[in-house]
Amino acid sequence: MQLEQSPIDAVDSAQSAPAKGGRRNAAPSPWRTPKPQKPVAVTGIHSLNGRWAYLFTSPFFIMFTIFGLIPVVYSVYIAFYQWDPLDPSMQTFVGLDNFKFLIEDSNFWNAVRNTFSIWAFSTLPQMALAIGLASILRNPILRGATVWRTLLLIPNITSVLAVALVFGQLFGRDYGMINYVIGLFGFDHIDFVEDTIPGHIAIATMITWRWVGYNSLIFLAAMLAIPQELFESAAIDGASKWQTFRYVTLPQLKNTITFFLIVGTIGGLQVFAEPLILGGAGGGANRQFSTLTLFLFEQAFINVNWGYGAAVGIAITIIVLIISAINFMITRRIASSDN
Amino acid sequence: MFKKRIRAAGLALAMMLSLLAGTATAPTATAVDCTTTIKIWSFGDVFLPRLILQYKNENPGVCFDIKKSDLDPLNGTNMITACAAANSHTGPDIAAVEIQYSGYWRSYPQCFVDLRTMKRTKDQKSASSLKSLYLPWRWNNGVAYNGSVIGMPTDVGGLEVAYRWDLLKAKGLPYKRDEVSAAISTWEKFIAFGAKYTSKLTAAQKAQKIGFLDNAGAIYTAMTAQGVMKYYKNNGTANGQLVYKSNPSVKKAYDTTIKALKAGIGTRVAQFSSDWTVGMQKGKYAMMLAPAWMMDYIKQQAASTSGKWDIANMPGGGGNQGGTQLTIPTAGNPLNRQAAFDFLTWYVAPEQQKTAFLTYGMFPTTVSLYKDPQVTGYKDPFFNNAPVGEIYASGVQKLKPIFAGKYDRAIDKEIGAALTRIDVLISKKKTYNAAAEWTKAMSEIAKVAR
Repeated sequence: MQLEQSPIDAVDSAQSAPAKGGRRNAAPSPWRTPKPQKPVAVTGIHSLNGRWAYLFTSPFFIMFTIFGLIPVVYSVYIAFYQWDPLDPSMQTFVGLDNFKFLIEDSNFWNAVRNTFSIWAFSTLPQMALAIGLASILRNPILRGATVWRTLLLIPNITSVLAVALVFGQLFGRDYGMINYVIGLFGFDHIDFVEDTIPGHIAIATMITWRWVGYNSLIFLAAMLAIPQELFESAAIDGASKWQTFRYVTLPQLKNTITFFLIVGTIGGLQVFAEPLILGGAGGGANRQFSTLTLFLFEQAFINVNWGYGAAVGIAITIIVLIISAINFMITRRIASSDN
Repeated sequence: MFKKRIRAAGLALAMMLSLLAGTATAPTATAVDCTTTIKIWSFGDVFLPRLILQYKNENPGVCFDIKKSDLDPLNGTNMITACAAANSHTGPDIAAVEIQYSGYWRSYPQCFVDLRTMKRTKDQKSASSLKSLYLPWRWNNGVAYNGSVIGMPTDVGGLEVAYRWDLLKAKGLPYKRDEVSAAISTWEKFIAFGAKYTSKLTAAQKAQKIGFLDNAGAIYTAMTAQGVMKYYKNNGTANGQLVYKSNPSVKKAYDTTIKALKAGIGTRVAQFSSDWTVGMQKGKYAMMLAPAWMMDYIKQQAASTSGKWDIANMPGGGGNQGGTQLTIPTAGNPLNRQAAFDFLTWYVAPEQQKTAFLTYGMFPTTVSLYKDPQVTGYKDPFFNNAPVGEIYASGVQKLKPIFAGKYDRAIDKEIGAALTRIDVLISKKKTYNAAAEWTKAMSEIAKVAR
């Protein structure tokens, strides 16, 4: 052991022993850099020290490889084939045919349009609602805040199937509650299934109902993180409630809004169960509910064109990548304008 | 503060539990002495608890592990996955196939055990020797393109006309069972009868969008099932030969349906939508095309209309909507195959089908029951004591086997969409082009079946 002791330790231990003459020990200088220790050969279980991390994190990587990476790579492979999952003799390489077909398929572009229309109808009002709800929940006068926060999450854990069934009743053409109210005012009933824009609004309402609570909790968390001093100085400056919200709260939420928009966009590209239940697998007679994900499902599972379905999946990925890139650029611009 | 948090957390937990309670399954007694466990994939109410229990009692040691999908498409998707990984033998020993999917699976006999090669323990009978017990066209739904028997039928939907006799009577139209059947014996007469009914509606009723038939689009599906050929011709290959464009009966069904849409006899509500269910209670429509299993649904949803319904014969003769085949996938455990076949043949045997009809209204596929006094004599006061068993039995026997293929569902979907588009245009009093919509549907189908 003595041999392994580095010179610096030797000095320290020499100093720690009270020297003759009662001189106080000087503190070890922080400026002295310790010399590197000689590597010690460790054996047994300790030899894994530092590598345990790989073992502990491996479940994620194994799961991700099996359920994330391999399916993605495999679907890219399928996209170049006329594919039949059950009969290898029916799998023929077709090169880029599926993608060529996709570019020319008006149904695909219709699905892109529908997806963004539903996204616009659901995301923007949802953001306003969520921020509004969050500011109500933030109010210190509010009693039983935890109960309200819990209640807000309930729509989120309700099954989509049940939500769609209930909303299907609300939006019924002849006996639906919404049309009943519209009828009371003397207007014609709206067909929320066959008419495109009302249909998109109906689906967007379901999505908003399901996600607004979740998002308002995120906005609430961001609001609670705003330093209290800002509000206090705003109050001293004589700012009204609205002015405080507009010039203090809202600018501080910029990053959260960006987060909400990114997550909302990705979620918007995955809208599936609501249009499936309202319009069937084809997305309605005019394909008015055919969203990108539903279109993928229709191609693969109803029309049994698996290769084409995989190509649609890749197209969705590319769209997500483009949108993420745009989001990233906007976020960077916001960040740089802050400085 | 801490107490408050706990209270809130407890509340949240209680609420979540109450939400989950709806989906949780009731605990079942676990038998300790299972010698064989038959794994079943199913959907809806294919396997009736009462019959399962009976089999367990008669065959001690046999247990069941039944996985039920909420929706039949999900069941279909799971089966595709199971077949793709068939060599692992971790799939179901028995899988239920809804009749709509039989066209798809008939192209893939390699996914199923050929039931002709199996012999049941009781009397060494194979599927080939049991064939004569069943309705020929219904049996055919479980026969693959190459002739191998992949499934045996549990039930048949049938399709007849359920109507509100009180509403017909109020408009001075014939309302007695036989009179109605005669008045709507062909589709042309059916449309004319409907037009007569709608012409007698009061202005107030018209404002409420009251009509004759729930959905006129159903005529297309019903008519195409009445022929001998639909979209495919069996040429002995896995894919069959597509004849949807040239088959005159498909075009005729399309044209006749448009005639009905033009006559305005439908109320344009989709089956099982909320408008449809409420409309059933309120007499929004006087008639619907109803499979046998629908009668139970009508009874539950529109209890207040008891005794006001009756059943008449289908125009054009017979029809079908729904039904299930039981299959033994190759993905199942090979050691369980014999037990699975013994159970399967027992479950689809006439005695069990009779129980299923008398207790649950599922209509049998075994022809001997069509002469059974308990089936033919079955009457229901809800439907004005109509001889339901007799009417449905004669209807299902009129149908012929039709070869179905992989793209059947996709083609149905596209032509159905064309008809709905025309229906919407007519309802908005806009001009429509039946030929253009047909061409559009054909080009959409060509995209699918490329």
